Amino acid sequence: MMTFQGTVAIWRRDMLVLRRSILPELVAVVAYPLTIYLAFGIGMKEYIGQVEGVPYSLFIAPGLITMTAVNAAFSESVWSLWFHRRVQFTIESYRVTPITASEIVIAKILSGFTHGLVKGLAVALVIFAITPFRFTPAHLLSYLVFLVPGSALFSCAGIICGTLMDKPETIGRVEAVFIMPLMFMSGLFFPLSSYPAAILPVIRLLPTTALFEGARLALVYGRFTAVYAALLYVTAAVLFTLAVGIFRRRMSE
Amino acid sequence: MSSAIVTRSLTKQYGSLVALNAFDITVPQGSIFGLLGPNGAGKTTLIRILTTLMRQDSGEALVEGFDTRTKGREIRRLIGVVPQENSLDRYLTARENLELHARLHGMPAQRYRQRIDELLTLMGLAERQNDFPDTYSGGMLRRLVVARALLHEPKLLFLDEPTTGLDPQSRRAVWDYVRSVAGSMTIILTTHYLEEAEQLCDRIAIIDHGRLIALGSPQELKARLTGGAVYEIEFGRDGEQFATALRNLACIGTLQVEGRTVVVELERWECLSEVIAALNGAEVRRITLRDRTLEEIFISLTGEGLR
Repeated sequence: MMTFQGTVAIWRRDMLVLRRSILPELVAVVAYPLTIYLAFGIGMKEYIGQVEGVPYSLFIAPGLITMTAVNAAFSESVWSLWFHRRVQFTIESYRVTPITASEIVIAKILSGFTHGLVKGLAVALVIFAITPFRFTPAHLLSYLVFLVPGSALFSCAGIICGTLMDKPETIGRVEAVFIMPLMFMSGLFFPLSSYPAAILPVIRLLPTTALFEGARLALVYGRFTAVYAALLYVTAAVLFTLAVGIFRRRMSE
Repeated sequence: MSSAIVTRSLTKQYGSLVALNAFDITVPQGSIFGLLGPNGAGKTTLIRILTTLMRQDSGEALVEGFDTRTKGREIRRLIGVVPQENSLDRYLTARENLELHARLHGMPAQRYRQRIDELLTLMGLAERQNDFPDTYSGGMLRRLVVARALLHEPKLLFLDEPTTGLDPQSRRAVWDYVRSVAGSMTIILTTHYLEEAEQLCDRIAIIDHGRLIALGSPQELKARLTGGAVYEIEFGRDGEQFATALRNLACIGTLQVEGRTVVVELERWECLSEVIAALNGAEVRRITLRDRTLEEIFISLTGEGLR
């Protein structure tokens, strides 16, 4: 029977480490999206003007917050799991205690998820502080309906990569070839209407489109797209099951 | 005496490589049991199966009566493991490392705080408990790992090469500690230092190619190989001229001349008086009994080739 005592203990450990390094980490985490926001959102404002009825700086804001959150969730999960498994061997020290492999992997998914939310929130606060845009609590809540499964989904994806990949360069390639392109293709910086009509149905099927487009529609326009939310939650659930299964299988090998 | 560990026909293969081949062993409770073998002999595979980190392909392994295939959690409650790698969390202080381990074992905070204090003091780490492992010496790291393995008061302690890379003082400290807890728990020790096995273990199993090839106390193992007593006789002059007289004796097994020293293996110790009689008048400086080392047993059983 699973008691989650191991999950809580490992998650608490990860949060203690996050608390210790939060300030320097936040500076690094905020710098990247903020630079993009200043360059594109403000620097290009005069050239781009309005996109889908809103200023371009407002159009890209939800995507940048979401990108920071899911990137942080993925990075924390993948690198943490890889580091604890291949460098520090701490996963092995957890596995000789009376907890299950599922408790370990769920803790790591939760930690990645928490990292994503904390870092996404930090970027949101900075963007809200430097722009005049304000959102109603209802918009923010429906935005969270997308951000929460989005962070969970990327955390699970990170766990799968961190479990299967033994070489750090392979993880780097996955980030460059899959993660970043998927985000950018999902309308982070441009409206989906820019795609040719033939490709658009495929793009709409991507869980990252459900995340970025759904999150923007929720935060900027207050429109809750149930289909996107459903796609996101189902994908997150599938990846969660896969992450737990793959981790358990790898550990028993 | 009941058994802490029993394995029956335990088999594990990695592709075509047989790591454990129908391996049978019984470890009595409360003993210090040594597992010796060259690299790739199957020691680590055996430890990983017994600590539930790995599943066997076939056969049975019981730890304190619990089957490793079905009762992993129960077994992990009872065991402490000192792995080859220190596997400490470098982002946690020494004390936090121990606290995390205690929480993973579900120990109540009041109990683990007291136990951590005791162990840190015992291991001489109390003054450095709030430092990170990266700032520790090799010996301190090893002591911290041992403390972690003992925190939940296990019935069985697995020590996988516990003193590899340690200086002699730190090695002695670990040995002293192992001796001090002997009897209160069963200890399974793998080591490449045969002196360590000889000093610490009640019984030793020598493994090679996944099979048990010898089992017994260090004395029993040595007696099995020697067959007779080996003496070194040092002369005042070249040993060769005295060797001829000794070669004629019927009870001499082997004879080897090393400069002024002649090494003779006697078929029985009573033969020594015949040797002394044969050397009547010779300029003998010293006669010493050469104790066979465990290393000689090990090499004779497992071969000298590199693995």
